[in-house]
Amino acid sequence: MEWPILWRSCAVDAAPPMPSETLTLRHVTKRFGGVTAVSDVSFDIPPGRITGLIGPNGAGKSTLVNMIAGVLTLSEGDIRLGSRLLSQAPAFEVARSGIARTFQNIRLLAEASVLDNVLVGFHRLERASLASHLLGLPASWRETRDLRARARDLLNRFGMQRYAEYPAGGLSYGHQRRVEMMRALATQPRLLMLDEPVAGMNDVEAAELGDIFASLARDGMAVLLIEHNVPFVMRLCAEINVLDTGRLIASGPPGTVMRDPAVIAAYLGTG
Amino acid sequence: MGLGVYQSLFDVFLLNCGFAFSQFIVLRAGVFSIASAAYAGIGGYATAILVTRYGVSAPVAVAAATALGLIVAGVLSIPLARLRGVYQAIATLAFVEIVVSLGFYAEDLTGGAMGINGIPKLVGTGTLCVALGAVLYLMVAIDRSGLGRAFDTVRQDETVAGSLGISVQRSHAIAFIISGGIGGLFGGLQSLYVYSIEPQQFGFALLVSMLASIVLGGRGTVIGPIIGTAILTALPELARPLAENRPLIHGLLLIVIINYLPHGVADSLALLRRRRRAANAV
Ligand SMILES: Nc1ncnc2c1ncn2[C@@H]1O[C@H](COP(=O)(O)OP(=O)(O)OP(=O)(O)O)[C@@H](O)[C@H]1O
Ligand SMILES: [Mg+2]
Repeated sequence: MEWPILWRSCAVDAAPPMPSETLTLRHVTKRFGGVTAVSDVSFDIPPGRITGLIGPNGAGKSTLVNMIAGVLTLSEGDIRLGSRLLSQAPAFEVARSGIARTFQNIRLLAEASVLDNVLVGFHRLERASLASHLLGLPASWRETRDLRARARDLLNRFGMQRYAEYPAGGLSYGHQRRVEMMRALATQPRLLMLDEPVAGMNDVEAAELGDIFASLARDGMAVLLIEHNVPFVMRLCAEINVLDTGRLIASGPPGTVMRDPAVIAAYLGTG
Repeated sequence: MGLGVYQSLFDVFLLNCGFAFSQFIVLRAGVFSIASAAYAGIGGYATAILVTRYGVSAPVAVAAATALGLIVAGVLSIPLARLRGVYQAIATLAFVEIVVSLGFYAEDLTGGAMGINGIPKLVGTGTLCVALGAVLYLMVAIDRSGLGRAFDTVRQDETVAGSLGISVQRSHAIAFIISGGIGGLFGGLQSLYVYSIEPQQFGFALLVSMLASIVLGGRGTVIGPIIGTAILTALPELARPLAENRPLIHGLLLIVIINYLPHGVADSLALLRRRRRAANAV
């Protein structure tokens, strides 16, 4: 472990608002032992729109998200945000560079309140020094107070204000997914990766969240949307990438991609 | 029992609270370190040696003990950064054993098995209160800060912490170092309270009582270690005939609480209150 890690403020290089940048994947490959979960995948995730990533179960979608997030190392290829190489960076540095994600299998602090779950998301924006945290200086508690107010704003935006004090683990799946999204948004990301964000929700709930995703993209965020609900993805995405057994079999506008014979074959299980 | 007994019982309670917070802060950050007994030993011996052998004044000796605790914990955190859970526990247990054996074998410095005797009693209830007050302030400040939120997140889910830009390594290292400082401080204060120290008092029994007070009280709120220590200090005295069997009582209490209040007394109450408030809100 290096010593500078202690004196460095938690989030020095992450001042929002930040310029939007494109995330580029080039020849990204992941092997687990003999299994190639992701094989030579290249595409871009530009700011200002929602990029779709679809594919049958086990296609490698979550593996790709985990590689971008720095949770899994790459076997080959590289990942850049703008000009910055991210393929070797540990997860917390990827997050600090402005990449946020939700988890396919929801991961909340189950016993903490909804508000506290969202509050930790603001870590990247914290500026108070270690000394002011330890000594209880105004810089520290003012920051906590301000961030708590911003967390409440986020709860309002997602229609979750009445659950603020509720233990997050006691919510329905749909609401838990919202808490994860709020937590990810609290980091003020340039790129937001959503791994099946509307799984288990009804069409009305899904459409509500879809509107929020669309407005985030309109405001300049890059959004990567993984979803099995194909009509939902077609409605929201400007471009869709299709993975099948780790390979990218199609990329392009929704209309074109969904007519692609390879995609139809993959989805019918005959490919 | 005269009043004096209660007074000294209260002093023991204050000392044990200090030790408990040294244990508390690492567990709070998700580090399963049980090195606090070793920090106490290092601080205790440093203070005793400085005061008896070199005539150093009490405040300087205790400050040196605290600094030594901070430094040793900081160094220890480097090789332990990759370990988690039970492996951390075993590695830090080994460290406690090393410190105890040094107490035995570095005879010239530590007096070996005889320990160090005739340490002047320079610390009383007032000093202990001030020291514990300072530690409490630190704990509450952390609790209400972004650092406390980072600790809570790291403890519950390191993957989530990473996804939010929280460095697990940094959080663990900070918790280690604070733990070392508090352990060294209270080890030093204890030396100036008890007249004499010997190696085995910083061994397994101390370690277990520190852990037990957190398990009993809870590790999620600052009041937890105080409640846990209060129970562990008072109960054997109240049940006077059982005072001889303190370890037995520790053991039985632990088993009962782990079974019925797995989050400890304070955390279980906090959880209950939150659930009730939530039930009213929704
Ligand atoms: N840690 C791992 N070790 C070994 N194999 C893995 C690991 N993680 C994923 N895999 C394998 O990699 C392949 C891709 O899995 P992945 O979870 O990325 O698929 P997915 O597209 O997200 O599927 P789903 O739609 O079911 O979520 C699968 O065959 C899976 O079994
Ligand atoms: Mg998946």
